[in-house]
Amino acid sequence: MSRFGLFRIGGFRFAVALEQIKKILQNSKTYKLPHLPGAVTAVLVDAGQLIPLFDLGQMFGAESQGTPGYQVLVESEYGPVALAADMTGKIVTEQKGELSVTVEQGTDFGITGKFVYQSEEYNLLDIDFLAIETTQGFWRNQLDAGGVRRHK
Amino acid sequence: MSVASNRILIFRLGEIGFLLDLAEVVEVVDQGVDALDPGRSDIGRGIVSALLFRQTWIPVVDPALKLDIFSTMKLKEKTVVVLRGTEGNWALLVDRVSKLSAAEKFQPCEIPFLLKIVALGFYSQIQLLDNEPIIVFEPERYYGSVPLLV
Repeated sequence: MSRFGLFRIGGFRFAVALEQIKKILQNSKTYKLPHLPGAVTAVLVDAGQLIPLFDLGQMFGAESQGTPGYQVLVESEYGPVALAADMTGKIVTEQKGELSVTVEQGTDFGITGKFVYQSEEYNLLDIDFLAIETTQGFWRNQLDAGGVRRHK
Repeated sequence: MSVASNRILIFRLGEIGFLLDLAEVVEVVDQGVDALDPGRSDIGRGIVSALLFRQTWIPVVDPALKLDIFSTMKLKEKTVVVLRGTEGNWALLVDRVSKLSAAEKFQPCEIPFLLKIVALGFYSQIQLLDNEPIIVFEPERYYGSVPLLV
């Protein structure tokens, strides 16, 4: 039975498959480093390991309030990443919502599908794709080409 | 730079912490503004001023420029850290010197793969002190590769 973690940051709602979620931290201390990639706002330290913190709200044009919240630690193919989220997360089974995986390629950057739960649409993230594309310089090119659709 | 000596100096640019092997430090000058001459700058080479130190003008480098770190501190409020180099002394402008610490208190910490490409142009090692990432400052990235006249 598939389960999803459902979160939001600002006006952007996102879903992550539960098996990818390593842990959820609350108000973890974050640190700036020089020349972080644009999608990475800071790093945090978990178990002696540096974790890049992504602000999806900023990435998808849904500015967050800047208030403290959750940091969702997710395993990617390229190492763990943290996703900033407001303190409104929940975990639900796939059966409690409606899953679609028919997003057109090229129009929704890093989004593989939608999960609709209680009439709210959550963007199902392709964590591996987002992690590598937004840190290795391809993300800005996509933005310039209008490749990112904003989800509210 | 490896953290080989017993004592480590920690300084900050903005909120970001950097560590420096104390063996490389000649002196920390807190009130160095009167001895600074910005007229001797060479911005193209990262030199923002010269410091009259022990009767000699030495180049002053502001690493925040290369690292693109924003600081609200004015020049006169900054601290100057004088370092020894292969071509003589030179100086770093820093926002503040935090403290000295024993090298044993630091834990090595790997730079995540996702950050390596952007980081490697500016630093190659990070250590943790009380769970805070501190960048190992590598002086050779900032000064000393070319002869300098001031």
